[in-house]
Amino acid sequence: MTRPTVAEAWVEGPLKRLMEDARLISGVMLYPSGRAVGQFGFTNAADVMSVCALTSAINASARELGRQLDGKPFLEMHHTGAERQVFMARCAAAGQEFLFVGVFDRESSLGVVEIYFEEFQKALVSIRPDAEAPKVVPAGDFEGELNRSLDALFGPLGR
Amino acid sequence: MKGALAEVVATLSHLPGVMAAMIVGAADGLIIETSAMKGAAAGGIDSRKHTAALAAYLYSKITRASDAARLGTPAFMRLEAQRGQVCVVGAGDVVLVTIVTSDANLGRVRLDMMKASQGKS
Repeated sequence: MTRPTVAEAWVEGPLKRLMEDARLISGVMLYPSGRAVGQFGFTNAADVMSVCALTSAINASARELGRQLDGKPFLEMHHTGAERQVFMARCAAAGQEFLFVGVFDRESSLGVVEIYFEEFQKALVSIRPDAEAPKVVPAGDFEGELNRSLDALFGPLGR
Repeated sequence: MKGALAEVVATLSHLPGVMAAMIVGAADGLIIETSAMKGAAAGGIDSRKHTAALAAYLYSKITRASDAARLGTPAFMRLEAQRGQVCVVGAGDVVLVTIVTSDANLGRVRLDMMKASQGKS
């Protein structure tokens, strides 16, 4: 298994533990805006870029769908494919919301991923450094935010 | 269907020494039907979800080991720990999981779990 690469050092430990304990093949932690915080299992920045864009969009859609159907946003989603499964969930630390998307196969199970994700959430809450003042970025600068985070994960030449 | 599952859980959970009985998805490790956890303090940590997920996961690994050894499907899995035992029996798409005390009548628990699994698979 490869080590996670992270744009914010504080998430490396919890991400590594989640990856190992839940036996995830790949995963990305990101801000709801689509900016990546850390990843494992990907070697290509373009793939992470796609995952971030899709996860951000899916979260926005699911959140609205949850509101309409249930009066509140859904907390997690699970999709079972023929070979692999996708788990997507929201988590929070120090008032900041994050998204996580992970991929697993028959070497794990949804139940196992859920219990280790709970531990991941607790770890984030316990070690999250004081929130930095948010950087001022132009509203809707989705591509710029995403590219900056990918540079942090893979280096400027990774894309 | 749900009534039949509840009946299996109720039967197993009433055996002496059984602290909790659960029917768990074999593939996803999620609880389908469960009894209450006997002896759990109100507001205490509920370990059933964790136990269910990990027991189903462990059973899937045991099944692979058993296949690798050309022994066929495992009939009964028992995990003995300091303060009790976890028993697992496969039944097709589900596994039956019980958490039992150290001094439980394991023979009875095993027999009833095997009987229940034959009714389920």
